[in-house]
This record gives sequence, C-alpha cells and structure tokens, in this order.
Amino acid sequence: MGRFLIKRLLSAVLTLFAVSVLSFLMFFALPRDPVTGMCPKNCNPERLERVRQELGLRDPKVEQYVAYMKGIFVGRDLGSAQGGRCDAPCLGYSYVNSEAVTDTLARVLPVTLSIVIPAAVLWLALGVGLGMISALKRGTWVDRLAIGFSLTGASLQLYFTGAVLLIVFVYQLKILPTPHYTSIFDDPLDWARGLVLAWVALAFLFSAIYARLARAQMLETLSEDFVRTARAKGLVKRKVYGRHALRAAITPLVTIAGLDVGAALGGTVITETTFGIQGLGRTAVYAVRGGDLPMIMATVLISAVFVVLANVVVDLLYAAVDPRVRLG
Amino acid sequence: MRTRVAAALALVLVAGACSETTDDGPSADQQQRTATGVIATDPKDSLGPAPEVPGAAKGGTFTIIREVKISHLDPQRVYSFAGLMNAPLYARTLTTWKDDGKGNLTLVGDLAQTPGTNVNKDCKVWEFKVKDGVTFEDGRPITAKEIGYGIARSFDPDLTGGPTYVQEWLADTADYDTKWDFKANKTSLPPGLTTPDDKTVRFEFAKPHCDLPFALSLPASAPLPPDKDTGVNLDNQPFSSGPYKIAKHTPGVEIVLERNEHWDPATDPVRHQYPDKFVWTFGPDPDAGANRVIADSGPDQSALAFNGVPSALVSQVAGNATLKDRSIISPTPSAWRLTINTQRVTDLSVRQALNYAIDRDGFIKLIGGEAVASPITTLMPPATIGYKKYDAYPAGATGDPAKAKELLAGKTPELVLGVGDDNPERGTQLKANLEKAGFKITVKNIPADAKLDETKKKDNPWDLYLDSWAADWPSGASILPVLFDGRSIKAEGNSNTSYINDDAINAEFDRVLAMDPAAQAPEWAKLDERIMKELAPAVPMYVDVAYYVHGSKAGGVFISSVFGYPAFVNAFVKQ
Repeated sequence: MGRFLIKRLLSAVLTLFAVSVLSFLMFFALPRDPVTGMCPKNCNPERLERVRQELGLRDPKVEQYVAYMKGIFVGRDLGSAQGGRCDAPCLGYSYVNSEAVTDTLARVLPVTLSIVIPAAVLWLALGVGLGMISALKRGTWVDRLAIGFSLTGASLQLYFTGAVLLIVFVYQLKILPTPHYTSIFDDPLDWARGLVLAWVALAFLFSAIYARLARAQMLETLSEDFVRTARAKGLVKRKVYGRHALRAAITPLVTIAGLDVGAALGGTVITETTFGIQGLGRTAVYAVRGGDLPMIMATVLISAVFVVLANVVVDLLYAAVDPRVRLG
Repeated sequence: MRTRVAAALALVLVAGACSETTDDGPSADQQQRTATGVIATDPKDSLGPAPEVPGAAKGGTFTIIREVKISHLDPQRVYSFAGLMNAPLYARTLTTWKDDGKGNLTLVGDLAQTPGTNVNKDCKVWEFKVKDGVTFEDGRPITAKEIGYGIARSFDPDLTGGPTYVQEWLADTADYDTKWDFKANKTSLPPGLTTPDDKTVRFEFAKPHCDLPFALSLPASAPLPPDKDTGVNLDNQPFSSGPYKIAKHTPGVEIVLERNEHWDPATDPVRHQYPDKFVWTFGPDPDAGANRVIADSGPDQSALAFNGVPSALVSQVAGNATLKDRSIISPTPSAWRLTINTQRVTDLSVRQALNYAIDRDGFIKLIGGEAVASPITTLMPPATIGYKKYDAYPAGATGDPAKAKELLAGKTPELVLGVGDDNPERGTQLKANLEKAGFKITVKNIPADAKLDETKKKDNPWDLYLDSWAADWPSGASILPVLFDGRSIKAEGNSNTSYINDDAINAEFDRVLAMDPAAQAPEWAKLDERIMKELAPAVPMYVDVAYYVHGSKAGGVFISSVFGYPAFVNAFVKQ
C-alpha cells in the first residue's frame, strides 16, 4: 500500500507538471492580449508595451514559467503593479480581480466545494438507491418509474432544470431566497437555503445517470452464482442484496463517482452560472475571457489536482471495497 | 463675475408623455431624446443642497444586481460604465453634471466653487477654487493639495484603466508616464499642475484645452490624501469623499456602501443620502437579475437589475402595466456605425452608395427591435449637446437600393465585411441588404474578444466593420475629432477606424476646439453634417436604448444623460 501511494503521488506530480506547462503554453496561443483589457479607450501602444514589460510579459516564456512555479513554493516579488510581495503559495496576481490569485481562490473554492460535495452525497444516495430498488423490482411499476426518472434527468439540461427550480421556488412560490453563498460556519441554515436548489439541480442530473448504472450493475451482480448460493444457504434478502450484491455492484460506480466528483470540483460552470453563484468554474471562465493568465493557470492546476486526487482516492476505495483487488 | 452662459443649442425634446407602449416594446417616441446643456459659472448653481426628490424618504437598502463585478473602484482607474455610475456615491470630483434625467444638463462645480475659470480666455490656463466644508470620510478637510495628489497619482503606470485626458494634456503627449515619474516625485505635482494655496488648483497647458471642465467631471479628478494611497490596493477600499463610503467589498460578490456621516449636503449640488446603504450584488446573469426584480420579492423590491431587460423578457415587461410602471427607458449616447475603411474604400461614391443602401430598420429588428436600438443618420448621437438631426443620404428606414445602384453606375464593388463571431447573423443581414444594392460582400468572422483590437490596427484587412462610440462627455469635442482626425492615426490602438485624414476637416477640428466650450456646440453639429456629406467615412446605424426594470420600492433612478446608464445620486427606497 505504501509503495502504491508513493508511485501514485509521483505520477500525480508529473501529471500536474505537464498540466502546468500545457496551460501556460496554451495561454500564449489565445488571440487576446491581456494588457489591452487594462487599456482605456484612447489606447497608446507605447504605454501598453511598457505595461507588458512591467508585468513581465515580455520576458522569455521559460523565465515566466519558472518564476511562476518558483512563486508557488517560495513566494516572489511581483512588483508594485501587482501588489508587491506575494508569499508562498504565490499563484500570481489577477489582472481581472485586482487581487492576489490566492485571495480569489480562498473565496471561490469553498463555494464550489459547498455546491459539489452535498450534491454528490445527494446524487449518490438517490442514484444508487433508486438503481438498487429498480433492479430488485425489475419489471414492476417501480422499475418503470425509476427508468422514466433517469431518462428525464439525463435528457434535461441543467440550465433548464435550474431555471424551472428558480421560477417555481424563488420567483413564484417565494419559499426560498435567491441562491447565494453563506459560509456554513457563519450560518448553516442560510448556507443550506442558499444552495439547496443548486444541489437539487445537480443531483437530479447525476442521480439519473447513476440510477441507470446502478440498476445495470445490480442486475448483472444479482445473476451471479454467489448471490444464488447465498440465497440458497438461507441468508435473508437484506443481507444478500445489501451486503454481498451491492458491494460487488458498487465498484465501477466508485470509479465513476470519484472521477465525476473530481471533475465537478474543478468547477461546475453551468450550475454556478444558472444560479448566479461565483465559484471556481465561473472564475475560470472570466479569467479566460479577460486573458488573466495567473488565474487561468491557477484554476487549471486546481482542477487537475482535484481530478488527480480523486483518481488516487478511487483506487484506494476500490481496494477497500473489493478485497480481490491488491494494490502494489 | 460672469453671468450664467447659455450655449446656443438644439432644443428639440420629444417627451414620452403622448407615446404608447406596445407589446413589442417601447415605441420610438420614447427613444428620441436630445440633450440640452449649459456650463454654469454662477457659484449659486454649484451650491448644495441638491433639490429634494419628490417622494423620497430616508432609509432602506438599495440593491443593484449585476452579472460581473465593477472592474475598478479606485477613482483614478474608473472608466467602465458601472464604475462611472457607482463612483459618484463615494468620489466627488472638481466638476460634475446636474442631470434631470430628461436630457437637460448643467456642468457645475462639485468640489470646486464653479466649473472653472478660463484665466486668459485661451483655454490654456484654468483655475478652480475649492469649496469650504468639503471633507473626506474621516472628517479631514479636502483641500487643493489632496485634489492635486489625486490627479498626480493618475500618472502612476501601475494604475491602469482610467481616462488619460488630463495627464496627456498636462504632459502634452500621449506618453505622459515617460514625462513625469510619479513614484519618484510623490511629494510634488506634475508640470503644469499647481496648488498655489489650499483653495486653488491651477492647470497650465501648452495647448488650449477648452474641454478641461468636462474632463474633470470624470472620477479621475477625485481627491486622495497621500497617506491613504495604497496603490493598486486602493481598488478594493477607496477613501471616500462622497455621501457614501465602502463598508465592505468582496470582489466579484458584493460591494456594500454605507452613509458617510462627514458628507455635508450643503456643499453638494447633485447628490443625496437617502438610502442607509447601497449594495451591489454580482453573479446573476441578465435573465436571472431581471427575473429577480420582476418577482419583486424581499430585498429585491428595492433593487435594480443593472444588466437591463434582456430581449427575451421585453414583451413580458412591456405588456404588463405594473412592470411598465417599474421600467425606465431612455436612449443612450452609445452610437453604432458601420465604419468604412477609407484606406481601402477610396471611392466617395461607393461610400455614399453604402449610406443609401443601408436598411436600418431590418438591422434593428435583427438585434432586438425598438426596445434596444433607435436609428440615427448622424455621426453624433442625439444625446450630444448641440445635436442637430439631418440625413445626408435620405433613403428611408429600409434603404434605397435603386439610388445606391445609380451612384455605383453599373459597378459591383467587392467589399470585405468583418463581423464579430459572437454575432454572425449581423454579417448575414448586412450582406443580404447590401447585395440588393449592387455590392458584392464577403463576410469574415473575427474572434469577438479580438475584434476591437484588430479593427483598431491601421493595416487591418477589412473594408467594413461595426463600431460603437460612447463619449465621455456629451460634447462633439469628445466624438468627432477623436473618431475622424487623421493626424491621430497610428499603427494600432486607433479610434479613427475609418482612417480618414482630410486636411480641411482637421483644420476645422483645431478651429472649433480652440473655441469657448459654450460656443462649440452648434459648430460640431455643422461639422457632423459636413463630414458625412463630403467624406462619408461611415454609415450611422443606431443608438443603444437603455431599458431597465426596478423593484416596486426602488425610486429616484434615472438614466444618465451623459453615459446612458442608471444614475443613483437621487435613488431612494420607498418606505
């Protein structure tokens, strides 16, 4: 296990290094010049060039990249135009937000975490539960209802579902406030009220997919010999299905769930936009639009960290759930 | 003492009182609003308090909902429209506009006792006397020193984004930051700017700049004590000189402004302090913001959706009597034109034919109809002081292809139309329109984010492209010479995207700019018509129409006659 972890972590570091280089190079392929966004109407090209020099955008690309990566580990001096000294982990200065990238991330990351994690718990519970029940009640009206639900959920776009939820619960019935983010540590109830519609919309979409997957996996597992043996030996249904069959059926779902949650943590742009909440996803979009290189790199790196970590966690969970799997 | 000077101005003001609103949106009558303007020199015009707003009451929180954050709060860096509408709440300037929201403007002294004294009557030397009793948010007095420092810090190259008029005029060059080093000279002022005493701010220019009083109405002339200068970080927490101060700022999420108890209404001719708080809340997209205000629930009852009424909601808002009462509709100074690259389209008759051919009605229908745009045939928008309506190429609302063909005399000019890739349908419509008149149009899509930069390059590869311009003050001086003076053409970053360069017209610009601002207005109107008739460097298209909705308890908001966006100096919450 220890060797496995070390190998995976090394692989994660290499992956993140590659991601950082690619995102850095990609920035320079964008048609937009970030400095012209800072320039007022009657723009003077000579002044623009001086701003580029000041921001270090005319330094060799390798130098810019090294300075950026160095800042993550030991901090660096960004110059007065970018707030001066930036302590580690320094992810640069955001041209768009006029603040250190880490300050922006400290604000938007909890928002995305607050949207994704509760939504993930909801969609897993709902999706897997529905899929299980559907498999056990195969052919009945329960099964047909569950299939209908999953088809609907998978077909409807999140921005549509979200808009319907807003119209019904916020604008018409007025039983929920406009979606917003409050820290769970400040006011847990307001935190929940402000985000519940986002959870429901996201969960509706994903649970539909998981219900289908869980149903298919469960049906396959239920036809396995060991399940028949367990039943024949007289074990109660609850133990056979809940303890033995589910455990076998769930392993592929663990993989997919891990990847989905990891990707979602990188920024649920559509959810955030639909509900008007400023999380990591929207921050990334604005950064691309504004040519905000430090922010682009930071959001790409963080998204990559989440996906890579999710992969590691999934592998560990896999071994925990399925004793046949050995890590090494 | 000079008595009040009234400029000779066009005074057509078509009121909305007789107009009807149809389900298709507001009618054209509501959108034809021209501006009248006066530069006041009687000190009484610059005194406070501002007249009480009928029905206004103190108290409450006024909310403004917007999708994206305001790019800068630092007054020396404010230049976006949202920033320009927000800044008056916390930043006073040397001069400001008294605006009745119906197109009637008076430039008055804000921190200054008057809109300025043209010392030698040559627009090269200007003096401003600072009022008594004006203070910052901590109670310390505002003197000429702090005003001078505020203007001086705009020379700091770190503080990008703001207007550069005063800096360029003082330094007599566009490269003002190379002429005076702010960082090395923080205890002094740039050459040309002096504060002989605590009450006097003096500007001395190498060339005449009769528009200085207008330029000083921008937030860049806001004062700042040197010890409160936090450089780029001032963007997050500006130091207030206005009726409100920044109490909380979470970038990208919200700005909370609370009353500045040290603001004295007796010194302020324009602002009020009705709400307890203003709150900008960022995040909801235009549809969500408008829907919130339409739903009129809770705090949104005293809110305004700053992104306007999206086209998808126009019929709902316009067709509902209650929502109509909560709507504000007004033309703006933002004027769109189909720019003709005269370096490539050198034949005047071709440019004139384009003017005859254009179907403005069809284009406006495409982009959303009368609710979003109002057609124009002039280079300056109706919101410009001195505006005179004319049509150099009368062809009706849908164009006159026959007349265009007659001018082309059998030729089929092949033109390349550059269109932003976020609105390809505009290219399609224009192509179909112009080809009916005998042109052959090739549409090229330009990445939307790069379009502005690319068309501002002198050697761009297009013959036609859509451009807009919204002047920083409603004078022809900030429109015509900026857009059509060929001496300003450079390799990139051009505003003269027609790349027209006519010596006679350039000389006219110099002549009019040297005139007293009050006398300039009718001259700009004449020049507008002359440029169109003699050069036809563009096809005027339309002005944007502002269409906003607010909650049932929000009052006092009007559309700024200067910028065309909601102004909050009179805003209140109905109790």
